[in-house]
Formats: sequence, structure tokens, C-alpha cells
Amino acid sequence: MQIFKKTPNIPFLKYKWIALAVTLVIVVAGLINILVGKGLKLGVDFGEGTLIRVMFKEPVSVSEVRKLLSEVGLGDSIIQEAGKESREFQIRTMEKRTTTQDQEIESHQILADRVIQSLQGEEDRQKLAQGLLDLNNIDRTSLTNLLRSVAPDEAENLANKIVNYRTENGIIASWDELSREPLNLPGEVTSLLQNRTFLGKMTVLSRETVGPQVGKDLRKKATQAIIWSLIGMLVYIALRFKGVEYGAAAIFTLAQDVLITMSIYSFTPREINLPIIAGLLTIVGFSINDTIVIFDRIRELQRTMRKEKLENIMNLSLNLNLSRTLITSGTVFLTVLSLYIFGGQVINDFAFLMLIGTIEGVYSTIFLSCPVVLFWNQYFKKKKLHK
Amino acid sequence: MKKNLQWKLAIIVVVIGLCLFLVYPPKDKIKLGLDLKGGTHLVLQVLTEDAVNVETDQQLSRFEEVFKKNNITYLEANKEKPGRFYFRGIPVDQEGKARDLIDQYTRDWDYSFSGDRLTFNLKMVAAQYLRDLAVTQTLETIRNRIDQFGVAEPVIQRQGSDRIVVELPGIEDPDRVKNLIKVTAVLEFKLVKAGPAPDEETLLRDFGGKVPEDAEVVKSDPKRGTQGYYLVSKVATVTGKDLRTVRRGVDEWNNPAVHFTLNPDGAKRFEQVTGANIGKQLAIILDGRLQSAPVIEARISDSGIIQGRFTPEEADDLVVILKAGALPAGIKYLEERTVGPSLGSDSVRQGLMAGLVAIFAVMVFMIFYYRLSGLNAITALILNEIIIFGAMGYFKATLTLPGIAGIILGIGMAVDANVLIFERIKEEIAVGKNITSSIATGFSRAFSAIFDSNLTTIISAVFLFQFGTGPIKGYAVTLICSLVANLFTAVFVSRFIFDAFVPTNAKRLSI
Repeated sequence: MQIFKKTPNIPFLKYKWIALAVTLVIVVAGLINILVGKGLKLGVDFGEGTLIRVMFKEPVSVSEVRKLLSEVGLGDSIIQEAGKESREFQIRTMEKRTTTQDQEIESHQILADRVIQSLQGEEDRQKLAQGLLDLNNIDRTSLTNLLRSVAPDEAENLANKIVNYRTENGIIASWDELSREPLNLPGEVTSLLQNRTFLGKMTVLSRETVGPQVGKDLRKKATQAIIWSLIGMLVYIALRFKGVEYGAAAIFTLAQDVLITMSIYSFTPREINLPIIAGLLTIVGFSINDTIVIFDRIRELQRTMRKEKLENIMNLSLNLNLSRTLITSGTVFLTVLSLYIFGGQVINDFAFLMLIGTIEGVYSTIFLSCPVVLFWNQYFKKKKLHK
Repeated sequence: MKKNLQWKLAIIVVVIGLCLFLVYPPKDKIKLGLDLKGGTHLVLQVLTEDAVNVETDQQLSRFEEVFKKNNITYLEANKEKPGRFYFRGIPVDQEGKARDLIDQYTRDWDYSFSGDRLTFNLKMVAAQYLRDLAVTQTLETIRNRIDQFGVAEPVIQRQGSDRIVVELPGIEDPDRVKNLIKVTAVLEFKLVKAGPAPDEETLLRDFGGKVPEDAEVVKSDPKRGTQGYYLVSKVATVTGKDLRTVRRGVDEWNNPAVHFTLNPDGAKRFEQVTGANIGKQLAIILDGRLQSAPVIEARISDSGIIQGRFTPEEADDLVVILKAGALPAGIKYLEERTVGPSLGSDSVRQGLMAGLVAIFAVMVFMIFYYRLSGLNAITALILNEIIIFGAMGYFKATLTLPGIAGIILGIGMAVDANVLIFERIKEEIAVGKNITSSIATGFSRAFSAIFDSNLTTIISAVFLFQFGTGPIKGYAVTLICSLVANLFTAVFVSRFIFDAFVPTNAKRLSI
């Protein structure tokens, strides 16, 4: 089977001005957004506050969550619903910069504690104050200690069973679950638990705080990783293709891969964290190797078709490789799409970036890499001839 | 079968067999990162300035003593800042004697006279040594505490000059461990001179409103129920350093408490003080907060109980920190990431799901588009996955969520090489070459492109590994493994399959 019955003959280079214009529009819009508008939002990894993921026993709405938070003066936090049944939420406290660096991580932690306490609600706090234990947050050892009184020999076993069940489901929503399959707890255990514990309204799934010092370090490391891998790729390309024009084209392609992807990303509410940096570099590597394959073809054809104009050779190369470009980007797109749909909330930003990047990579390979070589040859090589 | 094909088959079987061996059983061989297993990642900073400060205080009081003993007079002795203290008002004729004494007692401090002022400065090298020691000791103490608390496979490492990374897999109660690590845990037993009083003013009424020179004020720990201020002696009778054994027990009312015994040296002092002060109160102070102040009822020599309305967990934790000893310097948390076990197992489930769907989608596409040759690519893809996991098992790499993303991405990229080759073979066939030579040219022509494309991605992955932290390192590792494995499967294995299954005089190729 083939996408194209015979090698297509699309004059890609005819559209070079349109392509450049489109790129320019996206990049300028992105830069304006980044520099003047809301722009790129740095995430927790780079020292900007605390990220808390919570799961509620019963469905709640974003506005209810916000109401609870505004009661403790944190209504301006970013609240996102995550996952199923309106029970999981991702809350990002906005950093309140304090005067000294020393206080900062502590203040983040205090903020995070405040978020958790406010979400627990008055009822749960009172129960805790009465000395009841929260079955949705209790750890194994404490639960074992508690169960010793009714089941001295079985206590550890039972505690493990209950905690494992909770781990699998995230939260225990009702007492009935304890006596049902798969737990099947005996009556005296459930009645002890009902007397001594309560089912907390919510549980904390994860909590991340990065202080300003580590945030600064991570920013530095991310920058280093970007700069060194870009240099690495450029050196490799320069060695591999001896012509300066190909090196220049590679730099150009690379720069616009980064710019376009980040421009589009800046228009979403998503944040920049370490996985995003990793994704960006992967996109660049992937797009560059697409470009290399095309350049390889051009040089091969230049050897056999010496009389032909460079522009025609380029068009031919692009067309010859078109099905390959579409298929490989297509398979990567399929895998990234599956990651985007099924991979879960934690990896969702990364998957989204890769989706943009995969599409953008095809565009930059087809429309943008060759024109640069062409311009270079027209402007610099012609001058040499005139001399 | 041709002879060189037999050899190739043998290589493939050996490589795959080795990889299967390396990864089996996967539960033991593939370590899961904290983001998948659940756990806490902490970065903390040792406040090494504390160690310098303590040394300064010690040296200051030591020289005060030495000067007094040797009849060197001075008007004032004070600490200026950590690492610097001075004596003022030393008579000029005693300067020589003072110099001799200092030279005799310390090499770690520089000193200089200017007028009647003698200033001590801690040498850079000595300060550096103190800071370094503080970090090493803190690391050891934290390790002891965590070991005693009982965490499976903790990672406790030094990072840079004054940071310590602590990774605790499978922790369900991160706050408890965090507090356990952070407490300085300086335990002191001091005689009570007055108290309790509701505030400092009432407390000091009998002393003319001033704290006596040999005493200090401590506040009771609000967690222990009682509120109040106590005036206690400045010098501790015994401290945490004098403890010989510590264990959890109960007090006379069956409340959780901590039992301890003292070493001979401490016991001697304890006996002396308790014997002489029957009827008075003895304050038990932890990190400057009074825990309880029991009345001394009899002479006690080498054992005792610390009580103070503890919960069972608090008593357990107190045993842990007393056994592990005090921290030589304060610490501060710089980074904290906690992933609960249920989010971790969710991530594993979702990652697995995404991976399976991705593989399935790619397989369907390849068979649909390339027919039997697609089957060839799929075989290569599956072997590719086996090699990735084998390599991860061999390198003892940790699988993280971004790592899973790397593997899934690798599935998409792995078929890239096959696509390059197949498209090239198609072109050759279209030009009219015979099948066997088309396959041969397809492979040889596509090779340079495959090599280049894998290498550019590997370059960026290597730098990600170099500069990345935990999860990102995991991503870089799986990506590198999958790209290297790709060179073997797509080029070597695929070629073998074509050579083995396509007859030399074939007229058609299912591609």
C-alpha cells in the first residue's frame, strides 16, 4: 500500500514566502504574548510555589473548592479539575514573596498546610480534635496499633489489607466498602473503626514544593541542558554536512522549532516544568533528523543530476521523502496521542507539547529547512561568482 | 539456511536471551522511581554556620577560663560574629604571656593585638573543616534516625557542599518523617529554680526582675499540654550524650513514656545532683522546650523515665531521635516532593495503558501499510522493547513516569528506521530492480540517514541525562536505550528476517 500512487510532485519551495510569513506571524504573536502578555508560566520545578493534588470522597465543583480556599485568603490559587468524576483536583498556590529567602520555603509549606486544612473542612477538623483518626490518611503502623485491641494476631494483616485497598482506590468513600468484597472485614473490626476513626473528606495525592534556591539551580541546569544539546547537535551537523549553508539551515530550523512550539504553548494555561524542557529537546532532535534525511537526499541527487537547478532538486527530494516524513511523524504522533489520552494528568503537559512539536516538526522540515539553503546559495555564492 | 544466516540467528537469540535474563523477574530487576512507587524526596541544607558558631562559643569560654587561670586580666570578652571573638582591656605587659598561651592552646585561630584589643579569627581551613564535618555528621545522624524509624531502601546522599538529598520510598506519613529528620534533638536535664509561672515577669519577681547569671528561662512545650515558664540552671546535669540506652515504655499511669539508662560518667553526676536536691523539680528539656518537670523523690543513679503526655507515635519518635543523637547543626528544607502511593500506582496503570494502546496502534498501522514487511517491523519493535528493558535491568536504571513516556515515544521512533528502509526498497523496486538487490540497496542507502537521525536525538538525551534530575534522568535513559536498541533491531534483525524469509529469486515482495 502507498500513500501516493506515484511520487508526488508538489512544488513546496513555491510556498516558501507563505510559509515564512506564517512562521513569522506565530512567532511574533508568541513573543508578544511571552514578553507582554501572560506568556510562559514557570512551574513548581523552577521555584514557583507549591503544587498539591487532592482527591475528595464525593464530587465537588471547582467553585466549591475555590470558596473553601478563599476562606483562608487563597482564592487566587490555580485550581484545575483532574481526572474522573470531579473528585480529583490540582491546586497551585500562587507564591507570596516574603522578604527573605530563608522564610520562603517555609512560607510555601505553611501555605500548603493551609490549603490542606481548609479543604478538610470544619467537620473533619473537629473530629481530629476529638481524637478520632482519619482512616483515609492513617498510616500502616498507626492502624495496626489501633486494630490490636480487637484482633491481636491479625492486626498487621488487616491494616495492610485496608491500606492497600485505599491505595488502589485513592480514597474510601463509605463504611459499606469495608464489609463488602474485596475487604470483607469482620463485624467487630468495622465497628471498632466506626467508633475510633472517621472517613476523611479528602486525601492528599501528592505535594510538591521547591524552594527558591533549588528552583534557581534547576533553572540553571535546564538552561545548560538546552544550550549544550543544541551545541552538540550543531557540531554534529557541521561535521556531517561540510557546507556552511546546511549548518545555517539547521540552526534556523532548530531555532524556529523552539520558537514556534513555545509560542503555541504560551497561549495555553500550561506551565513549564522539567519534563517540558525534555520534551522540547526531543522535538528539536526529532525535527533535526527529519531535516538531515532530506539534506542527505539532496546531496545524493546533486551527484547524479549535476545539470538540474538546486530548487528542483530540493523539490524532488522533499517529494521523494514525503511519504517517509508523513509516516514516521504519523507513528510518533499516534504514540504521543495515546500518551495524551491515556497517560494521565501528571504527564499530560508533556504529551501536549509533544503533540504540537510533532506537527510542527513536519511543517518545518518540509517548508522551512530548504529555503534557507537556497537563500544562502543565492546571496553568498552568487557574489563569489561576480567577483 | 545459509551459513552466515545461522550466525546472525545465533547472535539475535543470544542478545534477546541475555536481555530476558537481565530483566527477569521484572519486579526485582526494574526499580520504580518515587513518582511511581510513592514516596518522599527531600533536599535539605545543613546550616553549617551553626557549627562555626558553636565552635566560636566554645573557644571563647575556653580562653576566658585559660586567661583567668593564668592571671591575665581583661575588661570584656565577647563574640563579634560566628568565627570571630575578642578580648578588650588586656594590659600591655601581659600581651607576651597571652601570645604564648594562645600558641600553646590553638592552631585553628588567627589572633591579632591592636591597642588593648585581642581579636581571634577562625582560619579559613579550620572553618571549612568544621562545616564539612557538620554536614558529614548530620548525614550520619539522619541516616541513623531513618534506619531506626524503619524505611526500606532509603537514599541519603550528600549533594554539593552543604546539601543532603533524602529519598524515602513508600512513606505513608511524610510529615512525621520530616519532623523526625528536622528536630535538632538536644536533650538536657536541668534543675528547676522557679516555676511554673504564666509569664516571664511573674517568674522573675523573686529575682528582682532579672535572670540570675547561673540560670535561664525555658518555656514548656505546648504539645505537652502544660503552659508556663520555668527558671532553670544554666548548666545541664546530664545531656543526651550521657544516654546509654533508650527504649519505649509506659509511666506509672500507663501512658506512653521513654525509659533511659545513663553511662557511668553521667550516672555519677545524676546521682550527685538528684541526691542533693530531693524534693526539687528536675526539668527535662528537648531542643529548648520543657517536656516535663518531675519532682525528684529519691536519689536516682543510672536510669529514669521521660514522661510528658506523649502519643504512642511521639514516644516512638523520641526514642528514635535520642538513639540517633543530636544534629550538630540546624537544617532547612529546600525542596520537598511527596507522591502518595495511590497516585503512583495510578501513574503506572495509566502509563501501561498508554504504552499498550501506542504499540497496538503502531502495529495495526504497520501491518495495514506494509503487509508482511510490516510484520517484520513489528517483530523488530517487540525485540526492541525487550532490549530496552534488558539494558535497564543491566544498568540498574530507575523507571520513572517520564521514563515511561520515553519508552512510548521510542515505540513511535523505532519504526522510523524501518519506514526509511521500506520506503527506499519500494523506490528501488519501482525503478525495476529485482527484489533481492532492492532489499540490499534499500538497507545500505537508508543506513546513513538512520544513523544520523538516531544520533542527533541521542546527543540531546545525553545532555539531559547530564543535567537532569531524577525523573528526567529516567527519561533520558529510556530514550537512549531505545535508540541504541533501534540500531540493532531495525538494521540487523530486520535484514535477517528479509534474508531468511524472502527467497533469492522472489518476484514479489509484500511491502
